[in-house]
Amino acid sequence: MSATEIRTRPSPPPVRPQRHRSVTKPVGGTIGSVALWTYAILALLPLVLMVTNSFRTNAELVTDPLGAPWPPNGQSYRVAWTDGSMARYFVNSLIITFGAVLVSTTVATMASYALARVKSRWFRGIEALFLSGLMMPIHLAILPIFYLFDALGLIDSRLGLILLYGASGVPFSIFVIATFFRQVPAELEEAAALDGANAWQTFVRIMLPLVRPAVVTVAVFRFVPIWNDFLFPLVLLRDETKYPLPVGLTKFFAENSANYSAIFAGLVITTIPLIVLFLLATRQIVAGLTAGMSK
Amino acid sequence: MRRSTGLLFVAPALLLFGMFLLYPMLTAFSYSFFSWGGTARGGFVGLDNFVTLFTKPPFTTQVPRALLHNVLFFAGTMLIQNTVGLGIAFLLYRRNRTRRALQTLYAIPYLVSPIVIGYLWTLLLSPNFGPVNTLLGKIGLESLALPWLGDPDLAIWVVIAISVWQWIGFPVLLYGAALGGIPEELSEAARVDGAGHWDTFRRITFPLLVPAIGTVSVLTFIFAMEAFALPYAIGGSIGNPAGATDFMSLLFYRTAFDSGDPNAIGVSSALATLLFIVIFGGALAATSVLRRHEQKITA
Amino acid sequence: MNRNRKFLAVTGLAAVLAAACSPASSSDTTSSAAAGGDASSAAGGGDASSAAGGASGDLTIWSWRVEDQKAYEKIFATYTASHPGVKITVKTFKSTEYNTILATGLAGSDGPDIAQVRSYGQLQPTIESGSLVPLDGKVDLTGWDENVIKSAEGKKDGKLYSVPLAVQTLQMFYNKDLFSSAGIEAPPTTWAEFTDDISKLAAKGVTPIAVGAKDGWTLPIVHQVLATPRFGGTAFETAVLDGSKTFTDKDFVASLDVVNGLKDAFGKNVTGVAYTDAQSLFTNGGAAMFPGGSFELGFFSNQNPDLKMGVFQVPAPDGSPSDTPVTPGYADGAFGLSTKSKNSEAGLELLKWMATKDFGQQVVDEVKQLSAVPGVTYSDPLLQQMADNYKNSPTPYLLLTDFRYGTPSGTDLLGTGIQQLLLGDKDSAAVAKDLQDGLAAWFKPGS
Repeated sequence: MSATEIRTRPSPPPVRPQRHRSVTKPVGGTIGSVALWTYAILALLPLVLMVTNSFRTNAELVTDPLGAPWPPNGQSYRVAWTDGSMARYFVNSLIITFGAVLVSTTVATMASYALARVKSRWFRGIEALFLSGLMMPIHLAILPIFYLFDALGLIDSRLGLILLYGASGVPFSIFVIATFFRQVPAELEEAAALDGANAWQTFVRIMLPLVRPAVVTVAVFRFVPIWNDFLFPLVLLRDETKYPLPVGLTKFFAENSANYSAIFAGLVITTIPLIVLFLLATRQIVAGLTAGMSK
Repeated sequence: MRRSTGLLFVAPALLLFGMFLLYPMLTAFSYSFFSWGGTARGGFVGLDNFVTLFTKPPFTTQVPRALLHNVLFFAGTMLIQNTVGLGIAFLLYRRNRTRRALQTLYAIPYLVSPIVIGYLWTLLLSPNFGPVNTLLGKIGLESLALPWLGDPDLAIWVVIAISVWQWIGFPVLLYGAALGGIPEELSEAARVDGAGHWDTFRRITFPLLVPAIGTVSVLTFIFAMEAFALPYAIGGSIGNPAGATDFMSLLFYRTAFDSGDPNAIGVSSALATLLFIVIFGGALAATSVLRRHEQKITA
Repeated sequence: MNRNRKFLAVTGLAAVLAAACSPASSSDTTSSAAAGGDASSAAGGGDASSAAGGASGDLTIWSWRVEDQKAYEKIFATYTASHPGVKITVKTFKSTEYNTILATGLAGSDGPDIAQVRSYGQLQPTIESGSLVPLDGKVDLTGWDENVIKSAEGKKDGKLYSVPLAVQTLQMFYNKDLFSSAGIEAPPTTWAEFTDDISKLAAKGVTPIAVGAKDGWTLPIVHQVLATPRFGGTAFETAVLDGSKTFTDKDFVASLDVVNGLKDAFGKNVTGVAYTDAQSLFTNGGAAMFPGGSFELGFFSNQNPDLKMGVFQVPAPDGSPSDTPVTPGYADGAFGLSTKSKNSEAGLELLKWMATKDFGQQVVDEVKQLSAVPGVTYSDPLLQQMADNYKNSPTPYLLLTDFRYGTPSGTDLLGTGIQQLLLGDKDSAAVAKDLQDGLAAWFKPGS
């Protein structure tokens, strides 16, 4: 786990790579460009398939699963959005995913700060414990989780899911953010302490802005699996009006097993927010990873 | 920072982690020491459930087979992402205008649920309707139009390839970031000495990437050992065809929820415990190897 | 000091949780199951003819038939109309995760009163959990098919734990238009005719038999549809169960050869063809036959309403111990009463109704499945034909009805085995031996 531990670094993490390298040509030249864009098409294939199929009628899909969407037919979106109650599932997904990411990122950022700054055997032990959580196949503990939720009255509660996902995000978040804190020089805090700021004020005012790229990176990478998960909500929720998108979608799947185009429309609706999020956050992520990876 | 203050900062994470991750996981491990009648816990049986895993069919054949597939999954993923992934990152290295757009495009498959990815690729690779084989036939490569997911020797590699394709954005981003962190002066100095791209990469860049590769390796190992959603979507719970795409998590799922064995929870919990031990041991070993390697480099 | 106290607090909390969140110990469940049994046997012994509508309360029913939710609601509405004190809520869950949901749901609070449960072997963990109330003497299943009743019984105690809902039969579906365009006038009645028809269809350029061998679970079904008479059907079942024969028996091996011998009729690269591909192939008119369960009917007619379908029993292959073609079948889905139900009396009333022809007929009409209740009639001629075939020449879907009581299950083993057979990795004797050895891990003849 120590592979990324960086003890000292003279300057705050760079927000983006330096730009003065235009003197040197890109590796691979034109052939490289062609290869890169060809691969980009391959990467886009499933998305294209989902989108085109969602604009075809079901009859077309059954006879030819991979034809062209012409003329386009938007009917399936109406079916998915209204008949499939996607609007409600959408809101639930937002609540659960945002809640969970907020919880895990907040507690993990706080913990990471302390773990990076306190030098003690106890704290190294705690950090090791957190990191061991990275290796726990949590989906295999579905039964104990159910009993725990049952005893705490968290069955059929979105809050329960937020706490569960929040907890399962703690190890990865600490893994990334603690590395980041270790690169921030201690002089800044010492200066703040001289100005009379307490630990909490230093953390919020000085440290948080500095580790923002790492926090964004962690948040986005946690967001995706939670948004797409359906096992836990399926087992731990009872009330259909609390279902997030993937579970709602599986229900919609089963009810409309013959209506593939509406299912594809539902899938597109599920995936779009993630793409938007990713587009918005790539720059922060790259910056976050750059600082986290560099030695 | 004082220890007491530090503890206040750590406490919320510790509480959440302890209650909703560590505690259920430890409970799940403890289940493996009991006999079960459905969901009713019977008496303490010591290591009996583990003995079952190691001495009774189908586990004597299926556990090693599934573990082997997990290891292949890890090895295959490493092989492709450290060649193709690193290659892409290297090609992107100096393309300042298009880099971010391409990085985002490569990450898109990661955003789509693995269940959907599995379903779409099964469609694409179908011998009857699949466009992949149709295309191969049209360009005169009929002999390459294989039953991709129908041949046990091929299927696991197809699963690995699909998985890498889905996750490639991740190593591309990480390696890209690591490359971006290497001081420009180093490779410029090499260039002045007359070294080509490849030489510079081999002698200067690559050694500096080792820590990043190490981190990616450990994360990949954990990911490969826990592989579930994609294999399930492609090969179902029994690892079709003929068990060729069976993995530890699938074996757990089958044993825990699909069997008529009243002691299903006992045996499947033993499997979960075994899996954790393997992951933990593997990650620990990998980390210590990396640490030694790092010391060698920095020394 | 401070630090230690906090750690103590955390550990203490964990200990409290541990006590609170453990599942019921076996003694707890045994007693509650026994209590449930006593209470209901007292009620049942009291008067079976007590007036309907006596018990009241809210009942929650869980099912994995998401696609049938509306049909169920309609059916139960007729029940609540005549039982004004009862309110019924139907909740449906995704089928593939239903086992997980049910196991947890029945173990915790807030679960269903009446649950749709699995059959045969997969029912056993639910019974062993003490989650279901025994129904002997309370629900009347006289005159029901023996194989169907077996699906609802506990392996250990032989008690009845659920009321079976549907029966699935296995047979060959065929496309009437493709048959007549290949010059075939009627479904085959002899094995020679059957293979002859396959050649005619192949000559026409269609896939004679659509098989989705990539999905292993379909293959034991294919085996039963094509070759049940070859291994002896019910007689073989009896012999295997009492231990006088095993799966390495020459007739069973020969039945696997029958499947392998028809490999060319399944089309190229059959192990790469997914189940859903095979379905599309048949409904598109790309394949002439489809060996499958009665559960396919609704999907087929939905996908292609213009498809002219028929069904037939595949004739006995040459060398079969018995010449009569048969229809393999099994009970699919059943309803049981949770021991945790707060309205168990009302629940029991409802279960009693589920064993009547009134309920069975509604299931047939609304859900379009074969009912487990004897004596119902079908408006769909194909359903009627499948029901009649099963009534006249029934045989169990052997690997499912008798060999799912342990790990590994017979259907998993044979599914994988037939894939290896079709791939040429193993011969039929080796596949039969693998099946026998795998089952020997938990199956003891004569028990």
